Amino acid sequence: MKSAARMTALLLAALAALLLGVGIGSVYVAPGDILAIVSGRLFGTPLPEGMPPSYSAMVLGMRLPRVLLAFFTGAALAVSGTVMQSILQNPLASPFGLGVSSGAGLGAAAVIVLGLAGSLGGALLPLVSLGCALATVFITVAVAARLDRGMSNVTIILVGMVLSLFCNAIMSMLASSSPTYSQRVQLWQLGSFSMKEWSAVGAVAPAAALGLAFFFRFARELDVMTFGEEQAQAMGVDLLRIKRLLLGAVALLTGMAVAFAGVIGFVDLIAPHVVRRWFGAAHRRVLPASALFGGAFMVLCDLAARTLTPPHEIPIGSITALLGAPFFLYVFFAGRKRR
Amino acid sequence: MLRIEHLVCGYGGESVVRDVSFRVGEGEKLCILGPNGCGKTTLLRALAGLLPSQGRLELEGGDLRALPARQRAQRLALMSQFSPASFDYTVYETVMLGRYAHQRGGLLAAESGADRRIAEESLRRTGAWELRDRLVTELSGGQLQRVFLARTFAQEPRVILLDEPTNHLDLRYQVELMDTLRQWAAAGGRCVVGVLHDINLALSFADTVLLLEEGQVMDWRPMAEFDLGTLNRLYGMDVGGHMRAALRRWS
Repeated sequence: MKSAARMTALLLAALAALLLGVGIGSVYVAPGDILAIVSGRLFGTPLPEGMPPSYSAMVLGMRLPRVLLAFFTGAALAVSGTVMQSILQNPLASPFGLGVSSGAGLGAAAVIVLGLAGSLGGALLPLVSLGCALATVFITVAVAARLDRGMSNVTIILVGMVLSLFCNAIMSMLASSSPTYSQRVQLWQLGSFSMKEWSAVGAVAPAAALGLAFFFRFARELDVMTFGEEQAQAMGVDLLRIKRLLLGAVALLTGMAVAFAGVIGFVDLIAPHVVRRWFGAAHRRVLPASALFGGAFMVLCDLAARTLTPPHEIPIGSITALLGAPFFLYVFFAGRKRR
Repeated sequence: MLRIEHLVCGYGGESVVRDVSFRVGEGEKLCILGPNGCGKTTLLRALAGLLPSQGRLELEGGDLRALPARQRAQRLALMSQFSPASFDYTVYETVMLGRYAHQRGGLLAAESGADRRIAEESLRRTGAWELRDRLVTELSGGQLQRVFLARTFAQEPRVILLDEPTNHLDLRYQVELMDTLRQWAAAGGRCVVGVLHDINLALSFADTVLLLEEGQVMDWRPMAEFDLGTLNRLYGMDVGGHMRAALRRWS
């Protein structure tokens, strides 16, 4: 029951983060007004009298899609990180280690440098980076399987690292060859939620929800796998099949997040650790809790990114690390002493 | 009940274990002995289904290799060497994972009353009941191996394979662990196949001894008929003399 109470608290905190994210900006919109606007849109309830009409357009047209995109991106990254750490039994593992980010980065850099970033109504960039992210993971896993039929974790981590560095090198060369676009490539690298529309939410939100449900289905297998691969096999887990399925799903989910928001580090790494301190290691609790924590954390980071130095935005990737590092140390070491 | 015939297995096309045949009866405890690199662990991994192999591998007449992973795990469990736990599961959760092979998968999978009863029995049988709410990351090596033994029991296998489970354990824990396994094997319809590095522990535990030399069976017979002198040849030293010298210090 203790964990049910904690989960409720985390859910409320996530809702609070969403309201804060939507409410705070150049103009403050109170939580009550936000709820009224959303309910007005969804259920046709009347808006409170005296509320400036511009609020509705601002909340529905700009802030809400941005905040929701941040939430679902954070949730997707956190859940992917949790799964990667368990599959590879390595607390430092992250989906980016499979080459997802560098693959996506290379694809995005190519699109930007060729001057095609605006093609297909802006859809070409996310499509190409998602495709390249998946291709990189596919190559990582294929090479790892070729080198070592059992696809051991060390092999996957090493191949992923080598491939990441290789893609990064090509990306740097591309960026430096074209001074006009090099800054855009760099900015994309650090991630951003600015100027994002509902269409991005429409892509990332279902991916995050489906991803969470998919991994939840394998919660028990993930539990068993954290105790070692041989042991998991001897306990009845169809290891190779499940590992491939899960790695593929991680690549897809992370790829979606990166394609729309750019490379945002740290959330995937810290969210699982923080959540395990609060909920223990069982994936039935860790997976949903990671999603809530990662989402809320990303919303707050995005809030900081756009409000700390107006009118300039700080790249979100540097905020996640800036806020995340001390918070992580606090939770990790405070929790350690208590338990 | 367990029948192995002409088993061949190895790594990357090279056979490490060659033409090994033996049987293990109900209630029997068989220990595999042999010097380093003779193929003990490879043989055990092939039995556990972790390594592809050729030849017959049957439990009560049924081909073990034809079974899907879960069904194989309902019959055969592996108790490995001590390795520290790195994720914060409670002892109870860890033992409950032993029920994996018996549970239905899926989104709404839940543990049944029978699962809980079996997990609790296993905890009591291994003396780990008092530890049930502790985190596995906080336990000593001896405590943790007891928890893993409880998880192995919770799997309700017919055969338990031991891969040097007493490594790095204090003597008292070693003796306790083997006693618990002895009681488990005596309950009927069960057997144990083990690789134990410690020859003394192996000889005091086993009913039957299988000696491996360079991947082949050098000797296979009940303890009562076993000639300890064979060990001298296998290990290339005076094993008995060494043991007697050690014993003299105690008298």
